[in-house]
Amino acid sequence: MSETSIYVVKTTANQERAVANLVAQVARKEKLDIRAILVPDVLKGYVLVEASAPEIVEQAIQGVPHARSVIKGASSFAEIEHFLTPKPAVVGISEGAIVELISGPFKGEMARVKRVDIAKEEITVELFEAMVPIPITVRGDHVRVLSKEETQR
Amino acid sequence: MTEQACRECHRIVEGLVCPICGSSSLSKDWAGYIVVIDPRGSEIAAKLGITLPGRYALKVR
Repeated sequence: MSETSIYVVKTTANQERAVANLVAQVARKEKLDIRAILVPDVLKGYVLVEASAPEIVEQAIQGVPHARSVIKGASSFAEIEHFLTPKPAVVGISEGAIVELISGPFKGEMARVKRVDIAKEEITVELFEAMVPIPITVRGDHVRVLSKEETQR
Repeated sequence: MTEQACRECHRIVEGLVCPICGSSSLSKDWAGYIVVIDPRGSEIAAKLGITLPGRYALKVR
């Protein structure tokens, strides 16, 4: 097994998965030494290709729509390893924090975090605008943290 | 139709049952995408414990 490096391919935003599928198709068809293609959601406009040489990646993206260029230089596996273990969506949200709901029926509303469920990646919040404090449970990625201040509960 | 990922093996599947592990526990709510072409030569596949080529999700809820 020869050594591999990670090469970064610049793509059109939101076309990362399409590019990955097409590059994989080309690699299989032309028997290029590409081992894996990684598309982390946090990395918009880029696709990571594990291959033995940059020329192989250059060759594979030829003619692939939305694949722009290969970034100069290679990355080591250690540099991209953190993409393989995605953080739970509730990381950085603490009880008492002030958040804004960014999707769902309460989109745009501000709320205070009452409880954080790390296992389910859910948080329970109370809306500021509500007449009576009703706890609402929402997904951790459906909120944006505005202030991390702790409450005096 | 939105593609679904197997909650057991994280493979992106078409249909109602995962053809590899036989699980019918599928989810439309997944994030991160990996295409493994050569699992034996790939460090990414080794790290994730992937032994078969195919398309996988990094995170399945």
